[in-house]
Amino acid sequence: MGKHRPKWQAPGVVFQPRVYQGLQKGINTIADAIRPTLGPLPRFVLNEKQSKAGRPELLDDGAVIARRIIQLENREEDMGAMYLRHVLWSLHEKVGDGTTTAAVMFQSIYNEGIRYIVAGGNAMQLRQHLEEASKAIVDELESQVIHLQGKEQFAKLAETICYDPPLAKMLGEIFDIVGEYGRLDIHPGRSRELEREYVEGMFWDTGVFSREMIPDRVAGKVQMENAAILCTDLEIKEPRDVFSLLEIVIRADCKALLLVATSFSDRALSVLLANREKIQVVAVKAPAIDAATRSEALEDLALLTGGRAFFQAAGETLNSVRPADLGHARRIWARLDNFGISGGKGDPRRLRQHISQLRDALLNVTEPNQRRRLHERIGKLMGGVAVFWVGADTPLAVEARKALAERTIEAMRGAVKDGVLPGGGIALLSCQQTLQKKMKAAKNMNERVAYRILSKAVESPIRTLLDNAGLEPDRVLNQIALAGPGSGFDVVGRQIVNMAGVGIYDSAAALKGAVFGAVHGAALALTVDVLVHMQDPITSYHRT
Amino acid sequence: MASQNNISRLDYIYQFCESGKVDYFAARVSGLYRSSDGGKSWTSAFDSLNLQKDPSALAVAISPDLEDDPSIFVGLNGGILRSPDNGRHWESALLPSPPPVISALSISPNFIRDGIVFAGTLEDGMLRSSDRGGRWDAWNFGLLDLNILCLAISPDFASDETLFVGTQSGIFRSTNGGRAWREVNLPGEFEAVLSLTLAPDFASNGTLFAGTENQGLFRSTDGGKTWQRLAKSKLKEPINSILLASDFVARPELLILHGNRLLISTDCGRSWGPFRANLVTRKSVATILCPYGFDPSVSVLVGYADGSIKFI
Repeated sequence: MGKHRPKWQAPGVVFQPRVYQGLQKGINTIADAIRPTLGPLPRFVLNEKQSKAGRPELLDDGAVIARRIIQLENREEDMGAMYLRHVLWSLHEKVGDGTTTAAVMFQSIYNEGIRYIVAGGNAMQLRQHLEEASKAIVDELESQVIHLQGKEQFAKLAETICYDPPLAKMLGEIFDIVGEYGRLDIHPGRSRELEREYVEGMFWDTGVFSREMIPDRVAGKVQMENAAILCTDLEIKEPRDVFSLLEIVIRADCKALLLVATSFSDRALSVLLANREKIQVVAVKAPAIDAATRSEALEDLALLTGGRAFFQAAGETLNSVRPADLGHARRIWARLDNFGISGGKGDPRRLRQHISQLRDALLNVTEPNQRRRLHERIGKLMGGVAVFWVGADTPLAVEARKALAERTIEAMRGAVKDGVLPGGGIALLSCQQTLQKKMKAAKNMNERVAYRILSKAVESPIRTLLDNAGLEPDRVLNQIALAGPGSGFDVVGRQIVNMAGVGIYDSAAALKGAVFGAVHGAALALTVDVLVHMQDPITSYHRT
Repeated sequence: MASQNNISRLDYIYQFCESGKVDYFAARVSGLYRSSDGGKSWTSAFDSLNLQKDPSALAVAISPDLEDDPSIFVGLNGGILRSPDNGRHWESALLPSPPPVISALSISPNFIRDGIVFAGTLEDGMLRSSDRGGRWDAWNFGLLDLNILCLAISPDFASDETLFVGTQSGIFRSTNGGRAWREVNLPGEFEAVLSLTLAPDFASNGTLFAGTENQGLFRSTDGGKTWQRLAKSKLKEPINSILLASDFVARPELLILHGNRLLISTDCGRSWGPFRANLVTRKSVATILCPYGFDPSVSVLVGYADGSIKFI
């Protein structure tokens, strides 16, 4: 979509009823494009991708489909479509899953809301009541949250997200080990299989300054035990700086030293190598590419090892190093392209406080890059890394499966941390009873309508899911109602089951995020009364 | 041959049953000692090693089914010794380098089938062996404090794979057989945990007790998710040992070593009184055992920090 440039570049102001008509069509276009992908028996969306291989792209993720639609022909419809696209992409960046559920609910709320408003309802009051009523759904969902434990339960959760049983099984094991905050590095597979490795300790993707520091060329790795560590972002140029440092370390009775610095001159390195008989020194590059992340990494490293990081910006030099500034670790290893430590001798209380502060910060940060950085820092400090290689039959399939794995992992982090809900649309459907009770107790028409709209919206995901599986929603919903609380329809097994009992889950964080995004996004969209067209719309608007 | 007279700092006494009678191992700086006459006399358990100086022993663990599988493990300052034949022969286990200081040992209740043994260390976190103690690997994912002071394994480990470790900065729990660890929210500012004991029916009711250095005794009844501090105004000394009555499920009695005093509770920790009014010790107590139960009229085995062991 969106290949040619439309002809409608004239400025203007658009009023009702064109506003509602246009926005509604645009919203329905995006929602209808995403709708077929909901559930374990989805249909796909084929995107005419301009890749080098010239192949179209097969999509089954709501957020990605929405992102691929960058423009609609009609200008008012385009604004509606881009509005929903933005809501969905924000949700995707925040919780990683639930975008299709959000799209389906958004569509239901918006269409029902418009019907009420054009019949004389008050948009602003409806918005207020919808937003207030959404709390009832979230509270009801929270009361149903289940916290998972063990690799089997995690694997079942992963399967409900990715529908790839081998991938789900592997992710179940990995999450059981690394937990919601653990570091998980994903790489394209080295074979057709899925492979994983667990690396103990903390490691960074920067390596030694000189091959000469790796005596075992075959293993390509140097190891040290009970080593001292000095972390700095200084550029070490002068041999005399190195001499004074070595003297301090030798005097402190250390037999090995890891020196983490931004750069080393050849002269400084040659001093280190010439003193190999007295003390084993491994010099590695300070992690990270920019100054901010480098100083964070050095601070974390110093905390983990009980040392102090030396910063250029603070005017520090190697001459001011004292024995107490050195960190220590039980084991250190380094290669040409990475290094790691385990058994850091920092104060565990300070380390735990630091991790706790980083976790608190993570709760308040919404910017994706900052969140990723915080996740990485916490993961590193947790004392282990899972490395996961995603293989498949062809390079294109590897790429797609790796993206699927990344998406599943992101959604699982939230689910492991915040718990899960019975899947297959059942958790939302069970909110209907609460909403209908509140509807009966409503004090005015706008409030009553808000509850009625939401009561219908919470049913829309399960209806869509059943429809996608080729089933008759009304008939199946009757069977579910007769089967009692917790029961749902397993569309793969084609039978009524206890959803949590058989391990069909939805991430609680994703579902709550979907409800919040759909209700608040649609409620706000209902209050839009006028559209303003610019002469030449900013192209970046379409790329967000 | 070393005897009771040749004493040194005592870390641990291990009580075990062999052919229906209660015997003991005592882990001392001067080595491992064994008593086969109910604690009256002690002899070195390392005689077969023929060393000039016995290695310091810090922890002992014995197969839960000694008659069918007579395995014994001893944690040392720098290694682990295992005996496959009830202490007649000893062999050194293969451990990660550098040599760790073993502070605690625990054997899977299902050891005869799964061959799993855990070792806590003072700087290197947790080690696990799943081949009856031959090879040990570090299992420290999520363990933010590698200074292990005590460990406790679920009586139903075969099915729940749960174990807890007490560290310098609190408690960590694993629910997957030690593969990964999660922090347990013990109240207080990352308090050192000196002792941990799980109720025999832990699997069904999640009851466990934790003794700390400065914050007294805590109890959890939900597998460590939430904790309640017991007798806050009374228990302020370090709690080095927590013993549960052998029929704890029917009679919820606890005995704790509170500083150098023994205190007993008959109501699952809510109220406490002295175990025996006349039981006063001036020496520093390292550990206690109650081989004949908690009745005030029967003797308890007290191990002093100076290495002496007495029935009182």
